[in-house]
Amino acid sequence: MTRLSGGLIDRDRKLSFTFDGQVYYGHAGDTLASALLANDVRLVGRSFKYHRPRGIFSAGSEEPNALVELRSGARQEPNTRATVAELFDGLEARSQNRMGPLNRDLLAVNDLMSPFFAAGFYYKTFMWPRAFWEKLYEPAIRKAAGLGSLSMQADPDHYDKGFLHCDLLVIGGGAAGLAAALTAARAGAQVVLADEDSRLGGRLLAETLQLDDAPATEWIAALEAEFASLPNLRVMRRTTVFGVYDHGVYGAVERVADHLTTPGAGVRQTLWRITAKRAVLAAGATERHIPFANNDRPGIMLAGALRAYANRWAVCPARRVAIFTNNDDGHRTARDLIAKGVEVAGVIDSRKGVHPQGSYPLFDGAVVSDSRGRLGLTRIEITRDGDSQWIDCGALGVAGGWNPNVHLTAHHRGRPIWDPEALAFVPGADGPAGLIAAGAAAGRGELAAALADGATRAAQALADLGLAARLPDLPRAEASPAGQAAFWHVPGKKRAWVDMQNDVTVKDIVLAHKENMRPVEHLKRWTTLGMATDQGKTANVSALAVMAELTGQSIPATGTTIFRPPYTPVALSVLGGGDTGRHFRPHRLTPTHHWAEARGAVFTEVGQWMRAQYFPQAGETHWRQSVDREVLAVRVGVGLCDVTTLGKVDVQGADAAAFLDRLYANTISTLKVGRVRYGLMLREDGFAYDDGTVARMAEDHFVVTTTTANAGLVYRQMEFARQCLWPDLDVQLISTTDAWAQIAVAGPQSRALLERVVDTADLSNAGFPFMACAELSICNGLRARLFRISFSGELAYEVAVPARYGHALMQRLMELGEDLGATPYGTEALGVLRIEKGHAAGNELNGHSTAAMLGLGRMVSAKKDAIGALMSRREGLAADRRRLVGLVPETRSGKVTAGAHLFTDGAEQTMETDQGWITSAAYSPHVGSMIGLGFLENGDAREGEILIAANPLEGESQRLRVVSPHFVDPEGGRLRV
Amino acid sequence: MSDLKPISALGAAAPRLLTLGTLTLRENPGLGLASLALRRGGTAPSPFGLTLPDPGGWAASGAYAAFWTGPDQWMIEAEGRGEEDFAAALKAEAPGCSITEQTDGWVAFEITSVAGGAPLSRLMEKLVNVDAAGFGPGHATRTGLEHMSVFLIRRAEDRLAIIGMRTLAGSLWHAIETAAGRLVAV
Repeated sequence: MTRLSGGLIDRDRKLSFTFDGQVYYGHAGDTLASALLANDVRLVGRSFKYHRPRGIFSAGSEEPNALVELRSGARQEPNTRATVAELFDGLEARSQNRMGPLNRDLLAVNDLMSPFFAAGFYYKTFMWPRAFWEKLYEPAIRKAAGLGSLSMQADPDHYDKGFLHCDLLVIGGGAAGLAAALTAARAGAQVVLADEDSRLGGRLLAETLQLDDAPATEWIAALEAEFASLPNLRVMRRTTVFGVYDHGVYGAVERVADHLTTPGAGVRQTLWRITAKRAVLAAGATERHIPFANNDRPGIMLAGALRAYANRWAVCPARRVAIFTNNDDGHRTARDLIAKGVEVAGVIDSRKGVHPQGSYPLFDGAVVSDSRGRLGLTRIEITRDGDSQWIDCGALGVAGGWNPNVHLTAHHRGRPIWDPEALAFVPGADGPAGLIAAGAAAGRGELAAALADGATRAAQALADLGLAARLPDLPRAEASPAGQAAFWHVPGKKRAWVDMQNDVTVKDIVLAHKENMRPVEHLKRWTTLGMATDQGKTANVSALAVMAELTGQSIPATGTTIFRPPYTPVALSVLGGGDTGRHFRPHRLTPTHHWAEARGAVFTEVGQWMRAQYFPQAGETHWRQSVDREVLAVRVGVGLCDVTTLGKVDVQGADAAAFLDRLYANTISTLKVGRVRYGLMLREDGFAYDDGTVARMAEDHFVVTTTTANAGLVYRQMEFARQCLWPDLDVQLISTTDAWAQIAVAGPQSRALLERVVDTADLSNAGFPFMACAELSICNGLRARLFRISFSGELAYEVAVPARYGHALMQRLMELGEDLGATPYGTEALGVLRIEKGHAAGNELNGHSTAAMLGLGRMVSAKKDAIGALMSRREGLAADRRRLVGLVPETRSGKVTAGAHLFTDGAEQTMETDQGWITSAAYSPHVGSMIGLGFLENGDAREGEILIAANPLEGESQRLRVVSPHFVDPEGGRLRV
Repeated sequence: MSDLKPISALGAAAPRLLTLGTLTLRENPGLGLASLALRRGGTAPSPFGLTLPDPGGWAASGAYAAFWTGPDQWMIEAEGRGEEDFAAALKAEAPGCSITEQTDGWVAFEITSVAGGAPLSRLMEKLVNVDAAGFGPGHATRTGLEHMSVFLIRRAEDRLAIIGMRTLAGSLWHAIETAAGRLVAV
């Protein structure tokens, strides 16, 4: 087949591509589909279930048949519609869902077994033996019935996202959309015009209809020139608006580089979230077909598509074609094809008494009742008044009328309504607010009406916004009447396909009806009609019509087909968007991060934070060696740890103390200026929530700390309390977590080290006792805060400086502390130290523990009210007798496993006899064995008892002795020296 | 003056500077920041001669500026005072207010365009769900950017500041650099 004359392809630019390994040539402006047809390739795939030969059915995004794999290697992309894949030089395409070569697919045997694959077959068969489903039946069915395959490699391309805001979003750049955009843009509104095609014009590009007695492309070209001069109009080509979301937000995918071999340095696709005050849906209409026997052969396509291929791409699948229609639009296809020099073997019109509109044989009151041709159409059977005859033709265009593309209007569960005049569903009144359909999408697809409707609807949308718009002078349009009859399918005994993509035939619908799967939702799921990549764009309404005929009801009484996003398939890559790998999510770095990195620290992710886990030294081959060394350094010398990650909240105001009294279970208001108190917060339900320290810097100024994990949550909780619970209190809050680098200086030598950096303050035990705090200066005048608090049980401090100095302070402390044994330690050692001291952390503060369980019951003050205090006294909580205990193995070499459950020695191990569980475990270099913390029934009275720690998941059972949770210095003498 | 040497939020001795097409990104460690919140029933002061702006606003006066961060709450900016105890200076200017040092709570990236506002609008489209057309000079807002919370300030038609959490400086720079770089690649 050679090209026809005319068309909108660039004949000077020849592009080579391959299909199933064979090299072909096309032109710039071609789609893969048009280029294949230009190369006489009609067979492009196999059907889903029966593996029937299939060809190109449409010329747009509604395509059900021509699904191919594009590209190779990591860029291999399955299930792409050949009708929307723009041709580029070097494009590789392959057919899919076949076994062996496409023209001799071994799985075509399925077609012979079609009686076994009727509607709902997988609900009825393969039921026995049950175990075979997962291992045999399902894999076999998946292999036989399917779509394309994945490369199983990571996508090498970049995807982007963005946000747009406009007064009016125009969805679709056909006649109505162009008129709408022009009207709104000239009125000065902020306008976004999006169209899924690579060029503007929509259906106008596929028609010969004239505007002002000239080709429509001339009008489009003039418009595009004007559009380019309007800064308030943004034209987005290759952009599909796929969904309507709440509050006027529209999802759109811009295929930035799908038409290029590779995106190069740019992105492949961009996901846009468009916030539009109003939107005009000018998405056009999709033609429907008329099911008849064996209507799925390659060469049988929508008549409008046949016309589009001839007019826009200058191709026709055959030299001799026929048209099967129930309306005048089919005759227009015949006229256009004849004008291009294609032989029209006949127009078969279901209507009686119609007249030919050109020089072609007309069969009025007739239907196409069958077809032949193994891998492509060769003949059709025409039946009129009971008489049948076969005629030869290589292609058949089927014109069953047009369905408005109402999809987006159904996205907020808007229900389209049946228009008996247009014989189609048109947008209902209950669609998404602010979305107005225009032109063919509203059932007003005749060209002059579409143009006028686009302009009018845009003006109406702008008027809603208080913007006045003048209707532009629109070109005079050639008439294109529809004259349609209600004729939905050709009855017969053979299989007639309704949904090409899912191999659903009229027979399947009849069967569904017989089996009482009559509501449209049941019909869909029983037959798989309307599923998969095309979502039944060419099938749904026809199926409803067939079901209506069977039930004897009207189409609207039978059901309404509605849609959900996305309008066309959207790649997960673009929905995921943004970065993969290291930058997949943001990372917070501590002020000493770069210092720790330079020292070879091993980092661990703690929420968003990257924290130094431990600092391996030369010769250390196992993390435990590093951690044990770091722990011992704190116990005998001095250790340094960046604890900036703990949340810090600045609390000021005349009522700051009263506010904190209500927030913390214990009393804060009695705290003296220059002192720190440990504080415990409860949840509203009385369980322990978070712990930290409260430092009183002035009468009306506190700095409180939270755990790392809860920093954001506690701050939010505090703001909620301030703004909503007690707005009468004079309190001001702001986070200062990032502002201050905070370093824990812990160990018997910590005072000696700090005395070397502090400028003038007296750090003696009397001058700066345990739980003291002060604002002071260090290193010759740098403002700093010092807190004498301890997480390790040793004499310890935390020193804070403006974050930019954290790095230098850490360096300075290490230098000055060399003779004192200064050692950096990470989160692992921090964890060991706190377990040794019996301090609760996230493992214990897990939302299931009470203050009493933690041994902190007395902290819940009875003298005042606080969030959660009352609820903590309710029976269910107060009666909980589990208490925090320490655990050591009976034999020194024994193991303690966090998560293991505790049982009385010799008792049966069941849920009922469960005595508690181990929350934290570590090897303690101080004790010389593993140790653990856990919650145990009556734990505070069971010291010395041997328990069994059961870890049935790993078949483990350990004998542990109950001890005090304070493995180090239970009297607390060390931290007070 | 302390003998400790500060590092920038991005972890270097010198602030980072990068030009991508018509846009220049500059880390601004010199920006002193302190929050100012009114006590209950207090009246708004005029520190350094600033008129504290209404919601969504940013107002500048010489080297000082303020933007609204919440009811009765503003962030005060002082160009060139990042190394000082700017909160103490602000306290003297706004007696009776709650002042909190914020300088190192944040990293400020100043973005300048040599081609007017259009490149900044394009950049904003890719970074934040804020309508650039309604975000002219004098506007400030808090918004999300790649799962990070940031302040956005339109200092002039050709200048935009993005102020993010200091500990997230690297991730924020990466996001801005990537978006700006893609504008050049197009």
